[in-house]
Amino acid sequence: MNPSNNSNSLMTVVWILVAFVLLVVGGLIIAEATPLVLPPAASAEAVQVDELFKILMALGGSIWLLVQGAVIYSVIRFRARPGDDSDGASIHGNSTLEFVWTLIPSITVVILSIISFQVWVNITTAQENAQVVEARGARFLWSFSYDIPGETQNVNSTVLHTWVGQPVVLNLETADVNHAFWVPSMRIKQDLLAGRSTEARFTPILAGEYPVVCAELCGSGHGDMHSSIVVHEDEASFLDWFDEEAFIILNPPDDPAEGGQLLMTAGGVAGLYACAGCHTLEALGWDAIVAPNLENVADRAATRVPGMEVERYLLRSLFFPGEFLVPGYDNLMPQHQYQDPEEANYMPLDEALDIVAYLCTLTASGESACNVDMLPDVMTEMGMG
Amino acid sequence: MATITATPGLGSRTTEGAAIRAADLLRWSLDHKVIGLQYMASSLFFFIVGGTMAMLIRWELLTPALDLMADGTQYNALMTIHGSVMIFLWIIPMMAGFGNYLVPLMLGAKDMAFPWLNAFAFWLIPPAGVLMIAGWLVGPPEAGWTSYPPLSTLFSPDGQTMWAMSLHLLGVSSILGAINFVVTIRNMRPAGMTIWKMPLFVWAVLATAIIQVLATPFLTGGLTLLILDRTAGTSFFDPGSGGDVLLWQNVFWFYSHPAVYIMILPGFGMVSEVLAVHARKPVFGYRAIGLSSMSIALVGFTVWAHHMFTSLQPALRIPFMITSMIIAVPTGIKIFSWLGTIWGGKIRFTAAMLFALGFITLFVFGGIGGIFLAAVPVDIHLHDTYFVVGHFHFVLFGGSVFLIFAGIYHWFPKMTGRRMNERLGQLHFVTTYIGTFFTFVPQHIAGALGLPRRVAMYDPAFTNINTVISLAAFLLGISSLIFMYNILRSLSHGERVGGNPWRGLTLEWATTSPPPPWNFRGDPVPFDDPYGYGSDESGPYLDAVERRFPAPEEAAGA
Repeated sequence: MNPSNNSNSLMTVVWILVAFVLLVVGGLIIAEATPLVLPPAASAEAVQVDELFKILMALGGSIWLLVQGAVIYSVIRFRARPGDDSDGASIHGNSTLEFVWTLIPSITVVILSIISFQVWVNITTAQENAQVVEARGARFLWSFSYDIPGETQNVNSTVLHTWVGQPVVLNLETADVNHAFWVPSMRIKQDLLAGRSTEARFTPILAGEYPVVCAELCGSGHGDMHSSIVVHEDEASFLDWFDEEAFIILNPPDDPAEGGQLLMTAGGVAGLYACAGCHTLEALGWDAIVAPNLENVADRAATRVPGMEVERYLLRSLFFPGEFLVPGYDNLMPQHQYQDPEEANYMPLDEALDIVAYLCTLTASGESACNVDMLPDVMTEMGMG
Repeated sequence: MATITATPGLGSRTTEGAAIRAADLLRWSLDHKVIGLQYMASSLFFFIVGGTMAMLIRWELLTPALDLMADGTQYNALMTIHGSVMIFLWIIPMMAGFGNYLVPLMLGAKDMAFPWLNAFAFWLIPPAGVLMIAGWLVGPPEAGWTSYPPLSTLFSPDGQTMWAMSLHLLGVSSILGAINFVVTIRNMRPAGMTIWKMPLFVWAVLATAIIQVLATPFLTGGLTLLILDRTAGTSFFDPGSGGDVLLWQNVFWFYSHPAVYIMILPGFGMVSEVLAVHARKPVFGYRAIGLSSMSIALVGFTVWAHHMFTSLQPALRIPFMITSMIIAVPTGIKIFSWLGTIWGGKIRFTAAMLFALGFITLFVFGGIGGIFLAAVPVDIHLHDTYFVVGHFHFVLFGGSVFLIFAGIYHWFPKMTGRRMNERLGQLHFVTTYIGTFFTFVPQHIAGALGLPRRVAMYDPAFTNINTVISLAAFLLGISSLIFMYNILRSLSHGERVGGNPWRGLTLEWATTSPPPPWNFRGDPVPFDDPYGYGSDESGPYLDAVERRFPAPEEAAGA
């Protein structure tokens, strides 16, 4: 081997080292962008997932720079000059090089698999003293029910409340098609499968309100199927919130219309009905458009079927939604049942009466359009009570 | 190896001595070249159809609320048909078109092994396309191209049944075409062409055909159960009557993950041809590229459940993560081998080469995104978000479609005897590259930040990023129009070329452009090394080909 050959191969080694350092530094810089492309990490699990994400960003960034660099270098260095019609060197391969670029990716994916497995074990290990939440997805609303330690009143709500440091385990069931329970800030996602019960768990570490999103196509209102998780500072502030809500439930308003509004309101402890998933009603902050608009619904209910009273129309619509379809809308509303409390769409008759009483107040004048006292009679006439 | 040869006398060729005319594409023909062009023409038609739908989707998503569509159902239908058309009526048949046109030519054969079966496989596609689109007349499918039950069984209207019937036909077409490729490649290679001297495109078509024969029956089987559930009262997927919704997901992805390779492997084969010819250098690591196609085909059958990381039983997720990581290795080998191919070459920046180089830079981004999605803890966050939408568009548009473009610029002269306009090709490349990058990179970011896929309405926080995506997508729409214009214009105005305008060594270049009815006059003798660029023997061989199949003289005095 002559000296010039030696210095050539030395230069090659130096260039490879320089390129390697540049790629590593470049990858690390790209990895610093991780927080920019992820929502704030609000759970203990999210912190671990983000660490793995960052490793992938660094590694992926290096590979990306390597390939871009090689292509850009090649098109500049190896472009055919004008008038040069010759061919490139007749090189068919290099066993050493091919071995190296098979071996390095192989080792890399093995290491990545091991790290991913560790993170996976960490984030799925069951925590003690977890708050158990029964979560239900129905087209197109989430609802949560859970007990409060030491309290008899349980919580049924479209918003999930918990507090910092409290592990939460969710038992997920669907009322109809598949959904997916996703909380981007917690980095958890789990499909709800028809006919099965599935599970998700997380431990919040940051107080705040975080969106819950449906991530599995479930029909026309899929993009509108969202709710939120409220993480309180600590258990004490969580219980303060609960006491306020529980007081309302334990001391129900005398006016049935107020009671009905409470039943339909998302966010309280009792608002279990999924009306907000499909209807619009500005007073309650609903903006979904899958089902008919409820603004001033009592005015329209009076005119929809000639000869039919408002209260009868509204009550029948609650239990037999297919009977009077508003033009342009499909029969998508859950068919409520009033006989069997085990039924998924169970609605007790007294709650139905309160809801109708509230709907009757939705008029342009603000005056109730019905005679609330006659509702029980209507119910009896319909063979429902 | 020429133990089977196409039977002459299977009806006369419609292409006697002349170029294939547009009217020939509407007739039943047994000529593999006509059938190849029929596949390509119908695919380009459906590319425009599916692309128009993409434009409507991006228009709708300019704002968080519904504006273009009356309700979410209309959006879901549009998104379902867009995906189904692009996959089953554009990319897969387009690749079949390239295979049909090129494989017999590259093997020096007169036709495919089963010409009648070949024609039959193509003619299943038009009725399938009609069934798919006509679903709109009876209520379009709205459950996405993945069509998970119970949404697809209990809720989606009758168009869903027509969608399944359409895919049935396309599945049968795909299986018949694949059997034909396997038999042709196995039996009809010319004397002297061992399996280790086949062009890499033929390797890739062989690997693809093996996947199609083994995987597609699972799709057609699953679709049969879906149709029965919808029309005959069975309950394979209805948990209320003892069925299981995960059964569909497993069967569907057992086909649809390998289908990813059905869509990309032929493109991998094409890029190996294009890079070697336009960089004037042998393919680097020929055996590694051929074998990695086969190992991708094999490992590709063991990764399907990574599409189900949020629905699969948790204990099963890790094994599928490991197989999904492993498949990155043969893909990486290919990328490095292609870099080795251009390294030290004499690169000609033709439109075909630009798209091939652009493919490498985009595809590696898509591949890295794939590693993110393979890592279970990260996928839990990214699953079913716009990150996934960005990822698969990167590998399908930045991958398969870029390679289709490269292939069309490369083989258009062979198919028509005319070159496509290079200036328009460069404009097409620049607009497509910018459009692709700024459509699909922001989609990754939006998904990681919290935007789920398949939504017509979204959180207003994502308005700006969606506007960027939509504008870039409109640029892609414009770039595709430039491409279609270039094709139509070049058919009549393109520069006329001889048999071998790019000086390629594979056999399809050793005949006239377009080739005569039975492809070759006499039995062609393949050059010993299909990628022997830069060798002492290749120059004289290419000069001899050029003398034998010269470019036609321009009209005297022109």
